[in-house]
Formats: sequence, C-alpha cells, structure tokens
Amino acid sequence: MVSRARALPRRLPLRLPRPRPRGETGWRIAGYLSFLLLWQLVSTFLVAPHILPPPLRILQEIRDILASGELLTHFGATLQKIAIGFGLALLLGVAVGIAMGTSRWWEAFFGDWVLLLLTTPGLVFALVTAMIFGLSYLGPIVAIVITSFPFVTINVVEGVKAAPRDLVDMAKSYRVRSWAMQRHVMVPFLAPYLFTAMRYGFSQAWKITTLTEIIGGTKGIGFMMRTEFQVFSMAGFLAWALTFFAFALFLERVVLQRQIDRFFRWRPEVAR
Amino acid sequence: MSQRVGQAAGVATARWAGDGQARRLPRALARPWVARLLSLLLVLAIWWTVLPLLPTVLLPSPGRVAEFMWDELRGDTLAPDTVYESFAISLQRLGLGFLLALAVGIPIGLATGLFRAVAAFLHDFVVVGLAIPSLLWALVTAMWFGFGSAAPIVTVFLASLPFVVINVSEGVRAVPRELLDAARAYEVPARRSIRHVVLPSLMPFLFASMRYGLANGWKGLVLAEVFAATNGAGWAIRYWYDAHRAHGVVGYALFFLLFALLLERLVFGRLAARVFRWRATDTGPRARRKEPHGADQG
Repeated sequence: MVSRARALPRRLPLRLPRPRPRGETGWRIAGYLSFLLLWQLVSTFLVAPHILPPPLRILQEIRDILASGELLTHFGATLQKIAIGFGLALLLGVAVGIAMGTSRWWEAFFGDWVLLLLTTPGLVFALVTAMIFGLSYLGPIVAIVITSFPFVTINVVEGVKAAPRDLVDMAKSYRVRSWAMQRHVMVPFLAPYLFTAMRYGFSQAWKITTLTEIIGGTKGIGFMMRTEFQVFSMAGFLAWALTFFAFALFLERVVLQRQIDRFFRWRPEVAR
Repeated sequence: MSQRVGQAAGVATARWAGDGQARRLPRALARPWVARLLSLLLVLAIWWTVLPLLPTVLLPSPGRVAEFMWDELRGDTLAPDTVYESFAISLQRLGLGFLLALAVGIPIGLATGLFRAVAAFLHDFVVVGLAIPSLLWALVTAMWFGFGSAAPIVTVFLASLPFVVINVSEGVRAVPRELLDAARAYEVPARRSIRHVVLPSLMPFLFASMRYGLANGWKGLVLAEVFAATNGAGWAIRYWYDAHRAHGVVGYALFFLLFALLLERLVFGRLAARVFRWRATDTGPRARRKEPHGADQG
C-alpha cells in the first residue's frame, strides 16, 4: 500500500480530529449555545448595539436584504468576476506548476515570483490594479489572477515532484506510449493535488475579489460592505459580509469537497 | 514529422525523470541563476513594452519607480514617514499582536490538545476562525476602535489566534507517548523530559503557527492600517494612492515584495534551519508523523 502520507498533498485541509459523536456532541452544542449567549450578553450589557449588534438584529438585516432582492445583483456581479479570474488563474497556475515541477530551470525562472506573490498582501495588488485600470472590470480580474495562481502553482509543483518515478520507469521499460502513460499514471496521480490547488486558489480568489470591490467597485458584495462601513452600520456590514462569506465557504468546503469525494470514490485513501 | 513527435515524446518522458532540460539548453544558459536573472529582465521588458498600450497614463515607467524607491531608501520622501519608519511601526504592531495571540492561544491550544471535551467545545470556532478573511477583522476593528494603533494590533491578534491554537493543540497530540513513558521509567526529571522530548516535538508546530499566523496577521495588519491608521506601511501605500502618485503606489508595492523576500529567505529560512538542525533527514516540518497546519490566506 502506498502510505497515506505520501499520497496526500502536503497542505492538508484544516481540521482538528473530528470529535467523536457520542458524549461530545453535548460539548459541541454547549459551545454554540455559550457563544450565542455570550454574544447576546455582551451586546445587551457591555457595549453599545452599534458596536456589536445582537444576533437577532443581524438576522433581521439579512432578511431585509433577501427581501429587497439586492442580494442577487451583487452576488452575481461578484461571482462573475470570481469565475473569470479564477478560471484564468487555474490555467496559468497549472501551466507554471508543471513547468516548475519538471525542470529546475523553470523552477528558478518562476520560483522567486511565486514565492513573492504568495507572501505579499493582496491589498498591494488590489491598489495597483485599481490605479492602472480604474473602475473597469479588468482591474479586479488581473488582481485575482495575480494573487490566486501562485496558490495553484505550489500545489501542482508539489504533485509533479512527488510523481511516482517507479511507475514512470516501469511504463518506460514496457514501452507504454507517452500519452497512455500521462493518462494512466500522471493524471490520476496529480488529480488530488490539482483539487487541493483548486480549493486554495478559489479561497484566495473570493477574498481578493471582495477586497478589490471595497477599494474601487461600483457593484458587488465588497461595494455593499464599503457602503455600510462608511455609514458605520455594523449590523448592515456584518449582514452582507457574513452572508457572502458563508456562501463562499459553503462553495469551497461543501460543494467543491463533495465533487472531490465523488471523483475519488474509487480511491478512498485520497478522498478526505 | 513523426520523428519530431517521437523526439518530443522522448523529451517529455525524460523530463518526468527530471533531467531533460539540461540537455536541451546550452550549458551556460542552463544554470538556475541565469534563469532567475532572465525572468527579472523579462518582467522589466514587458513592463516597458506594455506601458504605452495600457488604457491609462497613470502607470509609471520602471525608471520613475526606481527613482522613487531610491529616494525613499535614502530617507528623502514627501510622505510624513520614511519607508524605514513606516515598516518599523507596522512591525511593532505585528509583533505586539502576535505576542498577544501566543499568550492567549498557547493555553487554549494546550487545553484543546489535552482534553477532548474542550476540543469538542471549541472545534468549530477554531475552524471557522481559520477561514475568516483578515479583511473582515480589519474592517470590524476599524469600526470598533477608530483611527489609531488599536485596530491593527487587534486585527493581528484575531487573525493569527486560530493558527496558534490549532497548531499547539496538534503539537500536544503529536508528542511521542513512548518516549515520555521511557523517560518516566528511567526517572528522568520532568524538566529534562520537557526540554528533550516535549519541546522538540512541539517545535515544528510552534514554528508552523508562527509562520502561518504571522503571514495571515501581516495581511490583516496592512488592511487595518489602510482603513484605520494614521501611519505604518499599509497607511503609506494608501497615502500615495490617495495622492494619485502611481510611482509611489508601485514603488511601495515593490517594497512590500522586497520585504516578503527578506522575510522568507532570511528569517524563516535561517530560523527553520536552526530550529530543525537536530533532524538529520529533513529540514522542514513535513517529515513529522502529523502535519502542522498552514492555510489559505486572504
């Protein structure tokens, strides 16, 4: 058996070991209840409601937003940018990743840039692209591509480098044709890395998109967050931010993860 | 034609084995440092050629930006603070916020690592905390504290806390039981077994929490400074943005890149090599039985 540790990408998804269901469900529920209680107490007794609105107030705000129908317009605008930007970032990231993983030369060529782009705050690129492209759609998309593709790249590089050399050697000595080897050895091996790459890339993409909209958007979730921020409406701000973040996290952790699980049904040791 | 295809396939398979590129390039060009230099030159060349094509007159030429950066580095600036002062202020805030996160996060991490009930109680909050973009903290703290140092520091604290908690708690679980048992059997004093068993196995996890916690904290800090500070590196880039000085924005962007490079290469590279020098085979945390946790950051 290929050890589980080797088959998995290095960057594992983040989770503490799942609490065992029996006996600990109680503690978990207690956690949620005390959180809500604490929130309610703090907002009633300790601070003014505009500093921390009580949970119900935010729910009310979310309901108002849903009823007004604004949600669809702004979600649509944001998601559209994410889709285009993330798609381009994925293509670029995979291409660069394969080049870097297979040759030292390309690794030296791109290595510094990828590392730098990973570490530099996204704000920097959001500001520079806003400055260059103004209010057009192009700015956010360039910012998304620049900040998301390195996350894709590092995962792809890691996959390519960990490629099973013994299988490749065996395929070569049996004269398996190149495309057949790619199809039956490399693609199945790289797939889990690619999916991890997608998850990280997407996660970066939705964050930077909201940021670009905060800085220079005229529509979208970030724009609404900025509007509420400017009038110091904490309830409205949290309502917009939490709705969208919950939605994005749902896409990232549940929808994407479910696709991954389905894809890897035949290989339970990598599906996580 | 078919020969060429065969050749290409041959190259492709050789490249999977990792040695193809050297054969195809003249030797002098095949060196890695040549590649690094070339990539730098290429970026500059693209910058120069694309400049007139962009729909703006705002993008400065590389020369203008270099001039700006040189002036800044000499301490000659139009902004209220020099680049050194700005980054020093930001680093102080980062350090303070992260120390707070360590002070609060290590006890919580120990508790979640040792007691299953506490882990169940806090599990979902830590996971959500890891996923919350630092942008949210930056804006929320800006609304809470207004202008000043409090918002950036609290942002760093909130953005790095979950990383500290999760890594410490995983680290506690990864302490090798059998070594502790052996130490007890041979009556090794508690202090020495902490020093030689517990700490070495906690180290990679603390290191990971530092690395990812600081990275996330730094990104949050810069945002908080943009929205709620009157000085610091994040505020400085915004200053140039508001003044519509594109060379200032791009120049500061490059300072951020340089700073990132410095941090990666000097601090973390050296530190990791030192902390893990006892480990013969691998210099990173990847060789552990359990993996420290990093994350995607916004």
